[in-house]
Amino acid sequence: MIETPAALRPSVAHERAKSIMPSSESNTTPLPTFEVSNLSIWYGEKPAIQDVTINIPSKTITAIIGPSGCGKSTFLRCLNRMHELIPRTRIEGKVLFQGQDLYSPGSDPTVVRRRIGMVFQKSNPFPTMSIAENVVIGLKLNGVRNRTLLDERLENSLRMAALWDEVKDDLRKPGMSLSGGQQQRLCIARAIAVEPEVLLMDEPASALDPIATMKVEELIHELSAKYTIVIVTHNMQQASRVSDRTAFFYVGKLIEFGETTEIFAAPKEKKTEDYITGRFG
Amino acid sequence: MQATAANHAWRKIKSALVSALAFVSAILVIAPLGLVFFYLVKSGASSVNWDFFTQLPKPVGVVGGGMANAIAGSFELLGLAAMIGVPIGVLGGVYLAEYGSTRTNSLLRFIADVLNGVPSITWGVVVYGLVVLRFKGFSAYAGGLALGFMMVPLIMRTTEEVLLLVPNGYREAALALGVSRWKTIVHIVMKTASKGIVTGILLALARVAGETAPLLFTAFGNRFWNHSLSEPIAALPLQIFSYAISPYEDWHRQAWAGALVLVIMIFFINVLVRFLTRDRMANPT
Amino acid sequence: MPADKHILSRFDEALEALRGDVLMMASLTEKNLRNAMRCLVDRGSNLCSATIADEGEIDELEKSIDADGVELLRGFQPVASDLRQIVSIIKICSNLERIADQAVNIAKRCRKLNRDPNPSDTEQINAMFAQAIGMVQDSMSAYRMSDVNLARSVLERDKMLDQMNHDLATTLTTTMGLVPERITDYLNLLFIARHLERVGDHAENIAEDAIYAASAEDVRHNKVQA
Repeated sequence: MIETPAALRPSVAHERAKSIMPSSESNTTPLPTFEVSNLSIWYGEKPAIQDVTINIPSKTITAIIGPSGCGKSTFLRCLNRMHELIPRTRIEGKVLFQGQDLYSPGSDPTVVRRRIGMVFQKSNPFPTMSIAENVVIGLKLNGVRNRTLLDERLENSLRMAALWDEVKDDLRKPGMSLSGGQQQRLCIARAIAVEPEVLLMDEPASALDPIATMKVEELIHELSAKYTIVIVTHNMQQASRVSDRTAFFYVGKLIEFGETTEIFAAPKEKKTEDYITGRFG
Repeated sequence: MQATAANHAWRKIKSALVSALAFVSAILVIAPLGLVFFYLVKSGASSVNWDFFTQLPKPVGVVGGGMANAIAGSFELLGLAAMIGVPIGVLGGVYLAEYGSTRTNSLLRFIADVLNGVPSITWGVVVYGLVVLRFKGFSAYAGGLALGFMMVPLIMRTTEEVLLLVPNGYREAALALGVSRWKTIVHIVMKTASKGIVTGILLALARVAGETAPLLFTAFGNRFWNHSLSEPIAALPLQIFSYAISPYEDWHRQAWAGALVLVIMIFFINVLVRFLTRDRMANPT
Repeated sequence: MPADKHILSRFDEALEALRGDVLMMASLTEKNLRNAMRCLVDRGSNLCSATIADEGEIDELEKSIDADGVELLRGFQPVASDLRQIVSIIKICSNLERIADQAVNIAKRCRKLNRDPNPSDTEQINAMFAQAIGMVQDSMSAYRMSDVNLARSVLERDKMLDQMNHDLATTLTTTMGLVPERITDYLNLLFIARHLERVGDHAENIAEDAIYAASAEDVRHNKVQA
């Protein structure tokens, strides 16, 4: 892993902005969004992730699958330093985000999290806020005061989250008044309102009914044109439907990473095969 | 089979006995409140009139007058107490819930619980020693300080509890938006828990509003309007106390009236608390 | 196919039953093809009729395997080797059905040849018969045992069969010109050779499916083979 000099970054960003390539043909993308090398994470004495090396290409959807407790959520959270909220975590190895070390001493977790957004399993719109307030709260608390800009971002984010048409007349209603699926899309709108470059999703549809799940999946697919998306899911059909690449984690280790088509049609590792075909235990 | 049938009957009897016992206990809980209220109304209601709220106490032997200065004094003291107790209590609660290590937290909680159990007169004596003796005089400040001290551990624990009730998902959601820790706490966590925090403050106010002991050596009481917070000041509980132990019939009646007004005040604070918490009852977050 | 059992035993049972069905269909098809051959070699016209009659059973099997395969796909949404297994079974069974069709066609031609007490040059086709039946047998064995090498050998042998068909056609057309009064016999033989060549193509397809099921490699239309 060679650290890209900061001077190179604008041109790279420019190139990335130009490329509106279909997400599956990501091989040609110059710089992966994440270059993770020899990453290990411990909670206290307990290892959660062991020696994971993986490159996550830009503007693709990467699914992370694996049984409960395999470290997939921990891995997702270490991509925007959310795992640090749990006390006594220790990390080894490197996570490069667009060539820059996320864990260098000068890196600020709040800046990291602004650029790498996250959507959670349980939809969590802020209960004291209206739909509109929920969407723009990230901007407001980051110091954006300009009314026009806020209104613009509000509409754009809700449109991108495919929620605008459903809520445009109810923007002042509490975010909690929406249905479960709408709440989750509201949370996605809230996450993209601060204009991150990456969206991390931790089982974003596991609490939703099938129709709401499909809407969220459709949204994820649409968002992949603009964002690099990493999604943790328990639902293997979902992983095979939405993702370009799939990573299989088992007891803290990355067992296999490859094109989703490959992983689900002809995995190379026996552990992957056993897991996805339901031969565990 | 026979045995089972007998068992069944015996079980029914036991069940009925326990229900009856529980019912009697419930009555015993409610009865004192009813009795207190009934007695207060019976003895005090006739003296609660316009004069009671607007007049100063009359000199000994003169019939009539009111407790206007004591009512105002109580509110002033509560205001002073809130100025001390609310910020320290709330911030302490925030520290307990959001920052702090497990060890310091358990120590802090233990101390707060001990302080909650300290007899109220102790607070009076402490403030007497710290403030009254040093500044050579009873004052509203000293009274407010004593009540404020009492409020701190109360507010701290309730604030901590309501903050801990805020689901972690909201903190994570805000932090994941790149919002800093303290902004998350102020704008998301405390905002979400605001009703609970206000409830805790109101309950603490209601608790100290009726305190007499801490005021005896601090606010001391005053038969006239208080013109400076560094002077002694009247308070409803103090006035009730001094009237109740006096030998005059008219003062006794006024003491009953004062007690009735105090109870009604506290009753209203509790009603307000119920009103504020009604959403949380209906929809546990 | 991985040896371990699925957590869902119902899936194991259903998949095993499906495999059993397709293997049974294969053995029926083989028997039909053999009977068709014996019509010619042993000159038994009742065998011809039996071949034609047996086709109904094979058609029924195809339908039920198709339905069961789709049902497994729907019910369990299998992935990886399970998915490849079921997809290959469905494809194999449609190839088997076509082989059975060819067997019927061959049997009909044989019956025509057999009307003549002494048809000419029938032995010329025996080698092709043996080759085609061997390919069908081996492609199914390759599938049954997940033997990629055996399957690859079937692909090679299909080229040989094509060559044999080509050679035989040349020989027969030449002879046809010399003995014009026997032209119907030779035409029937030409048709049988053509059917056998088709059987070889289907065997090749089966071999390809066997490779896919075993290794996920798609070898179809892949001319550059190492």
